[in-house]
Amino acid sequence: MILPSIESARLRKLQLVGIVCGFGAGAWLGAAEAPTKLVKLGVSPLVVSLLMVVGVFLARWSLPALIRGTGQVRADIRQAPHLIVWGILAGCLWAVANTLTIFAIRDIGLSIAFPLWNINSLLGIFWGYLLFNELRDAGKIRWLTVLGGALLMFAGATLLAVASSAQSPAEHPLRGIFAALGAGVLWGTMYVPYRKAYLTGMNPLSFIAFFTIGELGTMLTLAVAYGGGPDALFHQLELAKPVLFWLMLGGFVWVIGDLFQQYAAKYIGISRGIPLSNTNQLWGLLWGILVFGELRGLSTSLYAQVIGGSLLMAAGAGAIALSSVTGKEHARWKQAADREGQRYKVDAGYVETGLSGNDSTNPGSQVSIQSARTWLDWLLVIAATTIFISLAVLARAPNMALNWPALAALAAAMLIFLFACGIALWKTTRFN
Amino acid sequence: MTDKNATPKFAGVWTMIFTDVHFWVPTIVLLAGLVVLHWIR
Repeated sequence: MILPSIESARLRKLQLVGIVCGFGAGAWLGAAEAPTKLVKLGVSPLVVSLLMVVGVFLARWSLPALIRGTGQVRADIRQAPHLIVWGILAGCLWAVANTLTIFAIRDIGLSIAFPLWNINSLLGIFWGYLLFNELRDAGKIRWLTVLGGALLMFAGATLLAVASSAQSPAEHPLRGIFAALGAGVLWGTMYVPYRKAYLTGMNPLSFIAFFTIGELGTMLTLAVAYGGGPDALFHQLELAKPVLFWLMLGGFVWVIGDLFQQYAAKYIGISRGIPLSNTNQLWGLLWGILVFGELRGLSTSLYAQVIGGSLLMAAGAGAIALSSVTGKEHARWKQAADREGQRYKVDAGYVETGLSGNDSTNPGSQVSIQSARTWLDWLLVIAATTIFISLAVLARAPNMALNWPALAALAAAMLIFLFACGIALWKTTRFN
Repeated sequence: MTDKNATPKFAGVWTMIFTDVHFWVPTIVLLAGLVVLHWIR
């Protein structure tokens, strides 16, 4: 069955929501990496990654329960059970990539590692074109914009990598560069499951629930296997007790950014959504330089290299984002969605309502009725909140020199994005 | 009483998954990522 077209006014609204979410994702994902600076305080990178994932796990089960209720998850499982496999697979990819980023930060620093793993956007464009018909029939100008943007991003990343060789704090810069690039490849490929799920109509809030299972399972396995066994891991967790809260908070912040990124991937595709959310590189740079005092004492030319490289990458991402999806291209998206629906025998109405940002449990409506929350949803929210409050009470402020006014300004900017994205999503899709 | 259709349907889904290139692309990248991680850790 061929899916009907989404009316152009609705399509424009959804694209605008996707763009706002892409920028919001950048701000929140950029901030989430800041706690990994604690690696320098003697906590094992694997434990840092594991604890962030535990924070992610808590947030990923409680936030969807708060926003829409877990009933949506059950409805999505009934419609497209095969996507559980892709959710878990995406979680595994994320966990390995995140662990690689911890090693990358340790070896070459946050300011340099960020742009290197952000090559994931180039890979996202490639997979989007190859596997999901993105940018097909998009016209020469849009191709030029996307390719030009990609080249700008590549030039920016190269400039930053060159700068890294002059000021890398580590003994193993090559290893750090491999780790950062590896994370970029894994994250770029992680969007394949994302896009598959959203072309089929799945709600991002449901997808991330399955994602967490693969993520936490992989991370636990890695931590036990490479951390010297369960006893050694437990010992490390004991050592990390004072910073547990900060690392799990990093995971929580990451989830909010990732949620926005998922909505961006859903409504503007991965070829445009990923570059937009990769503005997190600029936010990471701001956190690194302004709050943590990274790159202090370098020569003016190296500062110029780092800032110039970052601006080039941001300009490239902006150009890609501004190449809006045409009606013809969107028709090719729908062909890919048809193919998915037919292959896995998913109900066409479910796929169509999901693609147009409507409620799959209420296909006739432009926006959904609010899903009812059960006692289970409230239990999840209360449990997660209790754990975070308990850890906050136990937490000690890391003994690091931080620029608090800069930190407050960046936090305020994040809150502005949170409200802007939340309102846009609520008004247009009711978080569908 | 068991559902006679349940097993073939379940097997059919797995066949579709294992013959789907969208499954193998991320799986192979994941395995490669594990190799890199093992090397750099």
